[in-house]
Amino acid sequence: MAAIEEEEMGSSCSWRIRGVTELLLRGLLLCALAAGSGWCNSVERKIYIPLNRTATCVRLMNATHQIGCQSSMNGDTGVIHVVEKQEDVQWVLSDGPHPPYIVLLDGELFTRGMMDQLKESPRISGVAVAIAKPRPVKGFSPGSRCPNDGFGVYNSTYGPQYAHCNNMEWNPLGNGLFYEDFSFPIFLLQDENETEVIKQCYQTYNFPHNGSVPQYPLCAMQLFSHMHAVTSTVTCMRRTSLQSTFSINPEVICDPLSDYNVWSTLKPINVSTNLNSTEKVIMVATRIDSHSMFWNVAPGAESAVASFVTHLAAAEAIHKAPDIQTLPKNIMFTFFQGESFDYIGSSRMAYDMQKNKFPIRLENIDCFLELGQIALTNSSVLWMHTDPVSQKSLSVEVTNLFSRCSTSGTGVEVQEIGSTQALPPSSFQRFLKLKEIPGVVLADHKTSFQNNYVTETAESLAEVATVVARALYQLAGGSGNASAIQADPRTVTRMLYGFLVRTNNSWFQSIIKPDLKGILENEPPPYYIAVSKPVNATYLVHYVLANLTGAVTNLTKEQCLNSDGDLYEYAWVQGPQDPNSTTSSRLPFCVRSTVRLTSASSPAFELQDWGSTQYSTWTESRWKELHARIFLVASRQLEIITLVVGIVILIISFVATYFINAKADVLFTTPRDSGAVAY
Amino acid sequence: MNLERVSNEEKLNLCRKYYLGGFALLPFLWLVNVFWFFREAFLAPAYTEQLQIKRYVQRSAVGLLFWVIVLTTWISIYQTHRARWGEMGDYLSFTIPLGTP
Repeated sequence: MAAIEEEEMGSSCSWRIRGVTELLLRGLLLCALAAGSGWCNSVERKIYIPLNRTATCVRLMNATHQIGCQSSMNGDTGVIHVVEKQEDVQWVLSDGPHPPYIVLLDGELFTRGMMDQLKESPRISGVAVAIAKPRPVKGFSPGSRCPNDGFGVYNSTYGPQYAHCNNMEWNPLGNGLFYEDFSFPIFLLQDENETEVIKQCYQTYNFPHNGSVPQYPLCAMQLFSHMHAVTSTVTCMRRTSLQSTFSINPEVICDPLSDYNVWSTLKPINVSTNLNSTEKVIMVATRIDSHSMFWNVAPGAESAVASFVTHLAAAEAIHKAPDIQTLPKNIMFTFFQGESFDYIGSSRMAYDMQKNKFPIRLENIDCFLELGQIALTNSSVLWMHTDPVSQKSLSVEVTNLFSRCSTSGTGVEVQEIGSTQALPPSSFQRFLKLKEIPGVVLADHKTSFQNNYVTETAESLAEVATVVARALYQLAGGSGNASAIQADPRTVTRMLYGFLVRTNNSWFQSIIKPDLKGILENEPPPYYIAVSKPVNATYLVHYVLANLTGAVTNLTKEQCLNSDGDLYEYAWVQGPQDPNSTTSSRLPFCVRSTVRLTSASSPAFELQDWGSTQYSTWTESRWKELHARIFLVASRQLEIITLVVGIVILIISFVATYFINAKADVLFTTPRDSGAVAY
Repeated sequence: MNLERVSNEEKLNLCRKYYLGGFALLPFLWLVNVFWFFREAFLAPAYTEQLQIKRYVQRSAVGLLFWVIVLTTWISIYQTHRARWGEMGDYLSFTIPLGTP
């Protein structure tokens, strides 16, 4: 009613004003809607500089603890302070007058001692770590000193003197930072240019010149990494399952870490039934994954890569031997995922074997050979680690293994370790837990881990692969000339390039399926197990293994895609570039191999036993956003003054509008009389 | 509905319905009753049904107070102790805030 009355009475001028207001309101609404898509948000772009190349410390949980970091829901903001020397930290801890601070830490200083100091201070709202280049000389390991403690074979009943690394601290450099729970966000800055921009901003606005207190405006950083899950896997899985049963808007708050193991056999086996118990299989194993503090970045993965590359090269070498189909024993090549998180992959496979859910059963395993850390930093000596407890009962078979490995006659020397030392953390322990299987873990360290970065060449890895391949051939009962088996250093070089430098190379392009070409990037793949599956590293190992051990068939695409059977899997791969073609067409082909994927998800989740002490219970929290940005922040007083002035203007405009509206007939009278006279 | 246009009998009837309805675990009916009929019960000039209306309003107010006390106590206990109850706390919750214990 009111609107119509006004319209009737109102002049053309007030009509125009309303039109303009409507237009403005519509514009604002559009702005608000479009802000997310990056259009029309020029104000935001003028205020904030987003940091695009960052990695975030996220929250992970196991049965009893939460680890990692989180910010508050709306992000944590702090004034930037660059800490390049140990002394600089004094400013943020006590001297600086503008808390809270966000510390930009040089990679070198990202140590346990520093983080403990920052953790205790209430003046810290976040940490940004500039990636360390070159890498710290002494080595850096955020893992624990006793990796996967409690989930291996040694416990109070089995070799109690070896439990909890009593006998040997395997990872003395491990500072345990990965297993800490931080109440503030931590971001890794991966781009040096961005780090430089931040440091420039700090130098201009925040740097205390000659000890004087810097004045506002100051350069600040805001970190968003709010985590949905909290406390423990038990809590978050319970909440997730509760929500899914009766909530209108069910929300998953954490996901179990899981992926796939890659495995293949030398001689094809029927995967739809269990293997006959008289058939014996030699199991070779390595892990694929690694962990680091920052999500989807696992820069410490070189040791894992060196081991599984050696394994792949050995698999290729042994497949070239002429009489493999007539060997008395079969060989299984196994690549485990999630081993860094309390043996996810191996515990699942051992569980499946025990429950007859896997074609190979525990009693089929003749012996176990694991490639542990292989970096060969000091000398070309490899050490054979064995289990001192089961060795007592299985000494003949274990010694047998030893002698086969040692008589290989290459540049690499394989040596025994006395029987008083426990096995290092290894997948083998999960199988030993269920059945006394003879086995060794080959590693470059006699005692604790060599916590240095890998410096080996492709040649030395190929030599190790040769040793492994020859030992396997003899173990499988091969009677031919073992010294003819030779791993190819060129293959090793190609693999190291692909897995450590860039996956987007011509060889990887030619061996993967066309629909997977998007996973190839100009950087190494992340070696974190993650929750989406399979991860790129698993795919790559799968297709490299298929390429190295499979056979090219002349099937057409349709035949290839429909011929997966019990014995073999077929993959239609992209193939190499066509050399005769000017366009970028490829020559695809069909690869037949025994390579398969099998679930690497902890049995704890299969059994819904989220508080399990037997199986890995690691989960990853969900989140809405992970991002960081910098901007100039004004002093608190200025912020308050701006707000108050804004509110005052708003009130004044309300009052003014009211009075103008009330007196509209007086204010907006058009000279209607004169108009009437004119006509 | 404008009470001024309703007959006194109708008022009493309404007030009774709201009062009785409140017993079906609907304290908001009592709340409405108290606010709606307060003027009729205590401020309006006397009429025959006023005494009964007054009684219903008073009883509604007592019931409302009871509910307010019970709910306030429960909500404050729940909000402060939910995290400590752990599993039971989750089972008692319809929505659980994200990222808090």
